[in-house]
Amino acid sequence: MIPAHQTNISSSKETSIATAAIATPKAESFGQRAVALVPGLLLLGAVGYAGKFIELSINAYAKAHHTPFPDIEFVLWAIVIGLIIANTVGIPRIFAPGVATYEFWLKAGIVLLGSRFLLGDVLHLGGISLLLVAIALSLSLTFMHLLGRAFKLKPKLTSLLAIGSAICGVSAIIAAKPSIDADDEDASYAIAAILALGAISLFTFPLIGHALHLSDKAYGLWAGLAVDNTAEATAAGALYSDAAGKVAVLAKTSRNALIGFIVLAYAIYWSSRGQAQVITNKAQFLWKKFPKFVLGFLLISLLATVGFFSKPQLASLANLSRWAFLLTFAGVGLRTNLRELGRQGWRPFAVGAIGEAFIALLTLGLVYGADHYLKL
Amino acid sequence: MLNTQPAPSRPGPSLDLYAVALALLAALLVRFNLIPPIKW
Repeated sequence: MIPAHQTNISSSKETSIATAAIATPKAESFGQRAVALVPGLLLLGAVGYAGKFIELSINAYAKAHHTPFPDIEFVLWAIVIGLIIANTVGIPRIFAPGVATYEFWLKAGIVLLGSRFLLGDVLHLGGISLLLVAIALSLSLTFMHLLGRAFKLKPKLTSLLAIGSAICGVSAIIAAKPSIDADDEDASYAIAAILALGAISLFTFPLIGHALHLSDKAYGLWAGLAVDNTAEATAAGALYSDAAGKVAVLAKTSRNALIGFIVLAYAIYWSSRGQAQVITNKAQFLWKKFPKFVLGFLLISLLATVGFFSKPQLASLANLSRWAFLLTFAGVGLRTNLRELGRQGWRPFAVGAIGEAFIALLTLGLVYGADHYLKL
Repeated sequence: MLNTQPAPSRPGPSLDLYAVALALLAALLVRFNLIPPIKW
């Protein structure tokens, strides 16, 4: 169990902009912190399971009555239920610490998902992802900076938006903020824009994917490369199909592995201009920023590849990963407050939205190319 | 949006390490049949 202070909902309420909808009550001892997680965890479980129950019920009804009805994954139901709760009755404070653990379950789920990949597949698809990320990164970072200049955003806000949209959403912004000495307000703006755009992509990406008749692999790769936040990328993939969800997680994990390098590059840039601290130990900096769950994912994949687990055990691990994602998807809906969208400044959101559309198109083109030339 | 405040950096293991530790523990429990098969 994780301590409440490790969750991402801050108790601080310093700025009125993009204020968190719910806040973490201060807990003192480990026992109190653990107890404080229980209500929110139960809420995550209830919302996620309600999504699963609706999916099963609709499928059973359609089968019994021979009614053709599209199989809508529990992912969508869990997110929608979460959205309805968060944007109508709201989330009482008592649920906040537990709901904030959705990111913890996401990472645990990704590590367990490693069991569904042979290491060779990880290296093949992960290598292609890294190649596409490198191409998309250089183009999208340049584009975001041009956009930021055109919309007269503060340079550091533009840097945060560029890092968030090109690499990996909220984690990258949080990792970059202290490294480039950005303001809290800038980070709040950038995170709000990235989360809002992530929520929009959940509903648009599967529609576009189906309209273009993308294969599971191509769609999963696209979602993993274009959707910013890991939770939303995982959900966007899973909304398309189980196989697409797997590939989306792999592509997104490859992207996450680059956080440290990009943040380091920005830190060096801003320190060279005298506006951030100088990095003395670059290796230590990279290790500190490296998302450790990527190593866990690779380790489980390696163990699965060498036959450490039997087939039934692999099935159990895959199911455990699904349960962890069920809690995550419930959290995605519960932490999304649509009212906050209207309170954001329009310019950071516009830069983020235009940048996202550019990155989505760019990565779609790259995925098409990779599918054709590199055989996904 | 919830969670738009940057999280304060605090000492101690990161969220990632807790998640990896829990996942590895679960994998070992499954491997050595210490928990029943997990169904979906």
